[in-house]
Amino acid sequence: MPIARIHFWGIDSKYLFYILVGISVAVFLLGVYSRVSVWLAAVNREKVIVSREGILNLLMDGLFGRRIFKGDLIAGLMHFFIMWGFIGLFLGTVLSTTDYWIIHFLSGDVYLIYSFCLEILGLMFIAGLLTALIRRYIARVSRLDNQAQDLWILVLLFFCVLTGFMVEGVRLAVNMPEGESVSFGGVIFSSLPSSKEQAEAVYPIIWWVHSLASLFLVAWFPFSKLFHVLAGPVNIYMASQPEAVVSRDEESPEGPGFLFRDMINFSACTRCGRCNEVCPSASAMEPFSPREFIAQANEYTRLRYNPLSRIKWFREKLIKSVSALPEISPEQIWYCTTCRACLEVCPIYIGAFEPIRRVRTSEIEEGSRVPNLLTKSLETLYMFDNPWERSKKKRGEWFGDLAVPDLTAGAKADLCYFVGCTTSFDTRAQGLARSFVKIMTHAGVSFGTLGQKETCCGDIARRVGEEGLFEEQVKKTMGLLKTYGIADLVASSPHCFNLFRNEYPLYQSPGATPLRVRHYTQVLEELMERGLIKPVKRMDLRVTYHDPCYLGRYNNIYQAPRRLIRSIPGVSLVEMAHYGPDSLCCGGGGGRLWQELEDEKKLSEVRIREAADTGADIVITTCPYCLIMLEDAVKTADLEGRLRVMDLNELIAESLGLGEEGEESTIG
Amino acid sequence: MNIIVCVKNVPFTQEVDLVLDASKQDVKKDNLVYVINEWDNYAIEEAIRIKEETGGHVTAVTLGKEADEEVLRRCLAMGADEAIRVERGDLNPDASMIAAILSAVVKTIPHDIILTGVQSDDLNNGITGSLIAERLGLVHAAVVNSLKISEGKAQISIELEGGQDEMSQVTLPALFAIQTGINEPRYVSIMGIRKASKKEIKVIDASGLGLPGEDLQPSLIMEEMFMPPETEGAEMLQGDAGSLADQIIRIIREKGVSL
Amino acid sequence: MAKILVIAEHRNNELREITLQMLNKASELCRANGHELYAAILGNNIEGLISGLKEWADKVIVYNDPRLKDFNPDNYRDVLTALINEQKPIVTFLGHTPWSMDLAPGLSVKTGFPLATDCVDITMDSGRPKVVRQVYSGKIFSRMAFRDASGYLITVRAGAFPAAKAFDYQAEIIQGAMPDLVTQGRREFMGYRDTCKGEVDITQAELLVSIGRGIGEQDNIPQVQELAGIMGGTLSCSRPVVDKKWLPKYHQVGTSGKSVKPKVYLALGISGAFQHVAGISGAGTVIAVNKDKKAPIFRVAHYGAVADLLNVAAALKEKVSVK
Repeated sequence: MPIARIHFWGIDSKYLFYILVGISVAVFLLGVYSRVSVWLAAVNREKVIVSREGILNLLMDGLFGRRIFKGDLIAGLMHFFIMWGFIGLFLGTVLSTTDYWIIHFLSGDVYLIYSFCLEILGLMFIAGLLTALIRRYIARVSRLDNQAQDLWILVLLFFCVLTGFMVEGVRLAVNMPEGESVSFGGVIFSSLPSSKEQAEAVYPIIWWVHSLASLFLVAWFPFSKLFHVLAGPVNIYMASQPEAVVSRDEESPEGPGFLFRDMINFSACTRCGRCNEVCPSASAMEPFSPREFIAQANEYTRLRYNPLSRIKWFREKLIKSVSALPEISPEQIWYCTTCRACLEVCPIYIGAFEPIRRVRTSEIEEGSRVPNLLTKSLETLYMFDNPWERSKKKRGEWFGDLAVPDLTAGAKADLCYFVGCTTSFDTRAQGLARSFVKIMTHAGVSFGTLGQKETCCGDIARRVGEEGLFEEQVKKTMGLLKTYGIADLVASSPHCFNLFRNEYPLYQSPGATPLRVRHYTQVLEELMERGLIKPVKRMDLRVTYHDPCYLGRYNNIYQAPRRLIRSIPGVSLVEMAHYGPDSLCCGGGGGRLWQELEDEKKLSEVRIREAADTGADIVITTCPYCLIMLEDAVKTADLEGRLRVMDLNELIAESLGLGEEGEESTIG
Repeated sequence: MNIIVCVKNVPFTQEVDLVLDASKQDVKKDNLVYVINEWDNYAIEEAIRIKEETGGHVTAVTLGKEADEEVLRRCLAMGADEAIRVERGDLNPDASMIAAILSAVVKTIPHDIILTGVQSDDLNNGITGSLIAERLGLVHAAVVNSLKISEGKAQISIELEGGQDEMSQVTLPALFAIQTGINEPRYVSIMGIRKASKKEIKVIDASGLGLPGEDLQPSLIMEEMFMPPETEGAEMLQGDAGSLADQIIRIIREKGVSL
Repeated sequence: MAKILVIAEHRNNELREITLQMLNKASELCRANGHELYAAILGNNIEGLISGLKEWADKVIVYNDPRLKDFNPDNYRDVLTALINEQKPIVTFLGHTPWSMDLAPGLSVKTGFPLATDCVDITMDSGRPKVVRQVYSGKIFSRMAFRDASGYLITVRAGAFPAAKAFDYQAEIIQGAMPDLVTQGRREFMGYRDTCKGEVDITQAELLVSIGRGIGEQDNIPQVQELAGIMGGTLSCSRPVVDKKWLPKYHQVGTSGKSVKPKVYLALGISGAFQHVAGISGAGTVIAVNKDKKAPIFRVAHYGAVADLLNVAAALKEKVSVK
């Protein structure tokens, strides 16, 4: 008889086994059903479309774990081993079942190859699991918060694979067919029993222990963080889905109104903690953590939308297991700067800031817990079309003596410069606008502004979840642009730019000509390429560049500002510890500029110290929020006289000899 | 607990340059933004808080034109159960007329507590609340900066001048004129206002209240409004922040304060 | 002879200054128009206060009764209604104070006399008063006449007139007869509470650096606090800052806070609501910095600057610390 896969060796009660398999699979399916039901309980479920990017991401990030390797090679390898060990052994079991029930093919060489592969996979699996255990409990990687299930899942997996080897080993101890030495793992264990008789006696016990542990694993799977095996790939695919307008209306239910993708996010998170490491708020020890938020949201949605929770017994169990009715504590959500760093590092594309906005919306609608200053700013925005000043008239005051064409007063130009509220009203940020106008005039570009009629694009409303106000601002602004026939826009602020570029199109009627939107860095780069601006003045300066979140991570513009900086003779660019996609938020985004929160930290000081550490004379930025925040941090961090903060426009204007009078001598 | 809150839509005039209209009887209002009277915002918030704590029914009442319903929608969005607008027609009521009309309206609605703001930002009379109470024969208190309700009584504190409060106990039903700072009024979202705009606002015509003619005559006749005399006032310092600072320091030293 | 009646206000056995301010204006009007000046005072055991009024009016009517011990709008209204019906003054003055805001409307309803509140000026025009009031957060003045009536009620803004004796009087003291009090015990007085006790005594400071709504956000306060420290001054504020709980109440200047008398009062971002202005009438020199060039504070300040307070504060800090 040729060597072949042996099924149910010495096991009589295989029907009992299949009953248990049935139960285990049923529990598994019930678990999956309940979790998918939570997904489907989302409001305004968006349509899922076929996306090439999604499929590609699924391959790279799902099968190869591309994003897990990023920044943490060991974690990448560990996950790769565990994942492929797990998948391989699972496939092995499937093949074995097929061999037993459908078509017998695991014999001879095929069997030997099969068996050898399983040994390798098992070893990989063990290696991965050991690495995981070491990382968690010996090396104590700081971003991992070891909870009970983290340990039990690893132990259970380890136990399953170990008993698997033992089952094989004990069988081999009784009878070692020729060629079976390929099963080197089993061979090791075959020396364990002292005699054939003993081996024969313990075999059923070990077999059952192995089977029961494995079946328990299957049943527990959808109820534990292992569910990420299923939800993770779905989340990876969903990440590239186009954003849809989720308009809340009068009939929307109370509560956060999470979207489909939010629900998948929550259920897919394994609490790896990468988000916490990069979150500017969490790392400054503010009372906020993206991981905790996702975990709370997961508990909240799991209990509220789980079909099983309709059964009293189950609901009580669930409530007990989370100790109280889970709520998403509302204080934490205002700390998020929406900097997108969490999404940047998450292996499966979970970004806490999007569902946070949903919670903000429900808090805004509830009303009584909205931070004090934010209330005032939003009311100001509603009444006076800007969050800064209780006056519409002051919008044009930054012009000063500059001649700025006003498109709403008869000036004709193709390009509209959208100044933005912060740039218009904040005395420091006004320098950005003045320099930009000087550069544009110097380059002979025909452009104009909307003068006093310019509206607020609605960014603050959008970020803090005041969706109704945001929609009002969209309507108002689109109406204004239409009235003056504007189709080409350049914005001071990455926030306005991002909104016009990525969020306004969702509100445009289909078929309408899309607006061409650029950030000023893109326009300046083009002017430089066309030779219309040539920085001539030599400035022997060491500068560093702070990437604004909404220009960098949100819109992938990293190189234009750097090329512009490097084009200035004498200027050398040095990078901070965090730059490009890893850039650290100044702390002004997400509505933080308009709030006062308890225990809030000066996130801008952390950043300005990084800038100072480069030894640079000047930190350049390209966003009015960053400009204000960093400028303020220079003062509070006692760096005055050592470090200056400038907008890129100001630096370029200086290098073109267009600087503000009286200030020329202060640079270089 | 039935609570009625009297509210008013007023032009926002802080940080705004006001200009008199041709009649010199009022300011030009076409460019002004209208908001809920600041004191009334605290009053409606207080009413909602009492309702949230003890249960009850909150009715917001305003005397005004259709455009003034905005203030009622805001109250509904904050949590009021019912809103009534009294159409003022061609009347241009002063405080005594407002009180006469509002008291005729609230008389027909069950009430344990009536709240008003201490005063309005525009006309600044500060008596509408007490006038309503006196017309209805209700006990009242002006400038209330703390209000606790228990067992048919209200423990209140009244803000006096000079940093003193008067503590009193008032038997309900009663009227309280609410002072700013008594609470922190909640944010009212645009979505909340949109939702509230679906609710019905009851409209009552002031002329249909059966008030005697003298109640609909003003007590006070506006002769003219005028800008404060220009000659009065400060010597204005000029210059940038640095130069202003120099001048301020010089003045402070001249006045005998050593820095 | 027609009469002008002034209702005296007192608390904790002290006449309130508003009483003397009203008597100042009333005596001026009486002299010019040949009217008689009456003062009325209500309370219990108020002999000491009566003597304080003697030189201020032609007649002082006293209601001394245990039921009038503490202010109660019901009781006070009933007594004063009886008094007015009996004496028929052409004009009755009350202070525009929380007390009178509770009292004057009741008198108006009971007597049928028209009422003008918070008046900053009063004139008599052919036997009928005319008043000047401030409207729209004090940015506009309005001149008002009364409808025809047999008597008129006016509440007077604190600080509108000096608390100085315009003419000398030797008043006849008349004991008023208590009428029936109809509404008993609806409002019970429990006591006074000081709200301004605290670590800082702004009433003793020579230099007050005071902030108002214009400070914008709480985060900006430490900056000004530091400035006040460097300048050797004390930090104070106007009501909105306390309402927002950004500073404790003992920093508050104004009618609901404290009246102050520094040599220099530096008002940063204070618009100058009258309640605030009333609290700084004792200040030697007022310097106001405000972004709004029409802010009422500039009408009472001696020096003003239209500027962002934070910029000025930063410049002051820099310049003072250098010297």
